[in-house]
Amino acid sequence: MRFSIYQESKKGGRKNNQDRMGYCFTRDSLLMILADGMGGHVQGEMAAQIAIQTIGANFQKQATPMLRNPQRFLESSFLEAHREIHHYRMVNKLPESPRTTVVACVVQKGTAFWAHAGDSRLYWLRGGEVIAQTRDHSKIQSMIMQGLAAPSEIETHPERNKLFNCLGSPSEPTVELSRKMTLRPGDTVFLCTDGLWSVVSEQAIASAFAGNTVMRAVPDLIYLALLEGGSRSDNVTGMAMTWEGSDLSEDSTGISTLMMPLGAMTTTIQTTRRTDLEAASAEALSDDDIEKAIDEIRATIQKSNKLIPK
Amino acid sequence: MASQANAALPDGYELEGYRIVKKISSGGFSIVYLARDELDRPVAIKEYLPSSLALRRPGELAPTISDENLPTFRIGLKCFFEEGRALARILHPNVVRVINFFRANDTVYMVMQYEQGRSLQEHILKHRERGDRKLVGERFIRMVFSQVMNGLREVHTNKLLHLDLKPANVYLRSDASPILLDFGAARQTLQADTGKLYPMYTPGFAGPELYEKNGSLGPWTDIYSIGASIFACMSGHAPQPADARLLNDKMASKYRDLADTYSEELLGVVEWCLRLDPLARPQSVFALQKALLERTPTQPKRSLLRTLRRFMRSLLPRGLRGSDPTSTISMNTR
Repeated sequence: MRFSIYQESKKGGRKNNQDRMGYCFTRDSLLMILADGMGGHVQGEMAAQIAIQTIGANFQKQATPMLRNPQRFLESSFLEAHREIHHYRMVNKLPESPRTTVVACVVQKGTAFWAHAGDSRLYWLRGGEVIAQTRDHSKIQSMIMQGLAAPSEIETHPERNKLFNCLGSPSEPTVELSRKMTLRPGDTVFLCTDGLWSVVSEQAIASAFAGNTVMRAVPDLIYLALLEGGSRSDNVTGMAMTWEGSDLSEDSTGISTLMMPLGAMTTTIQTTRRTDLEAASAEALSDDDIEKAIDEIRATIQKSNKLIPK
Repeated sequence: MASQANAALPDGYELEGYRIVKKISSGGFSIVYLARDELDRPVAIKEYLPSSLALRRPGELAPTISDENLPTFRIGLKCFFEEGRALARILHPNVVRVINFFRANDTVYMVMQYEQGRSLQEHILKHRERGDRKLVGERFIRMVFSQVMNGLREVHTNKLLHLDLKPANVYLRSDASPILLDFGAARQTLQADTGKLYPMYTPGFAGPELYEKNGSLGPWTDIYSIGASIFACMSGHAPQPADARLLNDKMASKYRDLADTYSEELLGVVEWCLRLDPLARPQSVFALQKALLERTPTQPKRSLLRTLRRFMRSLLPRGLRGSDPTSTISMNTR
């Protein structure tokens, strides 16, 4: 596989960033995930974190080097993440469970499969146009579908933030799966949170990628969204992948997985899970630990230096 | 990750009394610079900067680390300290020496001695380019690797594994004495601590257990790489990668091809090191050294055919002497 990929996330005007993202790939399969922890509930960022890690860990287990059934993988991983979030609520005795949206996409054998729950979006772009996108699981989206609201109201309607489907909800979520989509070289798959799509038009998204690499287009779009959002901007997160094909070619600027060993996995997702999550803070070093370690090493160096014949 | 490579510190940048001269190399875990200390002596400075966890854009000094990545960044830091701690204790002529260790720019730095010379890899490549019949002589191999193993023994004694031994990481001083460099992958200690950051490896030089997520790593893993490095000295290219060997092992014929240039004894030791089953290899560097000493070379066989072939080859212009230009030992995935 040959592709280029770029991801970026900004806090915007919020106190913390509840968006999470990540990708991993083997020689023959690529996974991209993006999750938006929901404000208005407790610890939204934990829900987003658990979702990314659970789905990422499953991918790392099952993509050997390809997933047997990408759609089933997406559905079962989403549901497992949902259960993990509830487990987290139970262990930490939270009054309610944290919630998150998720959108994920798997690419293998030149075809893409995606799934989502909530209002984080995926756009499929070709030749400067959006050729497919996910439909938000939001109240306003269903009102539009029923003809109760105009499509233009999606970014402004008072009910626009209400979701009827997400992970961590009290009831089992619905995982909406795409069909099998065949990618052509030059196609871009763009995942983003509502912090981006609610202030940047579909047209602007489509044209940002026309003639631009993902490394340029994604930062441009995020910058645009932060500008539009102003001092009260939501967290803004975007990840894009431009497909360059399955074959070997000289003039690739992106990543080629062809030379990857069979069992190798490249990932930006650290799959510390459950018990690990609870132990993570204990294992990570504090500032004091770092100072102590450095002092220790310096002392050892000095001791060793004394042994050197001058 | 090609798309998110980190920017190096700018040339001329002053860092705790050291002046950066240039970037020497960068891997997924760190960047290494050539720098000069206050007395203008050259040093190598290694900067902890795992590219999947910390991002530094051109013009910035401190990397950006997301809250989500911070715990893992710090776990990785632990491994960097582990390496620093072990190397600080080791005072051995064949292991790179740590001179200083400090914190700056929201990360940590390890200062090491800088030596003039070239890597074993460059040495092999130079001989290959010249079209030398024998890339590296058997005596030279035995001499260099017995010292490499002395250094490696010291490393293992200090509960550290190298895990990325290859000709590019063995440096030759001008007197041909070797130094072990770049313990960048030596992030898993012998105490089998954690496996949160997967070790990176170089195909061909990595034993099959490095390909597995929970492979049992030990001195035998470095021993596989020693065998692979000796093989690279002999043949001019890396051995067949271990994962491919598990499916269809083609090494036996490679050893046969080398049999008229190198002694049966040395080839036997290489073959022993390169066994796919970790338990079938020498289990310690000491055992390997012993074997290498006991199996002294006899005169390599000289067949009439080989003498004839060499004579025919000498009649050809240099470029046509049949060394395969596409096979390269510079297989570095990092």
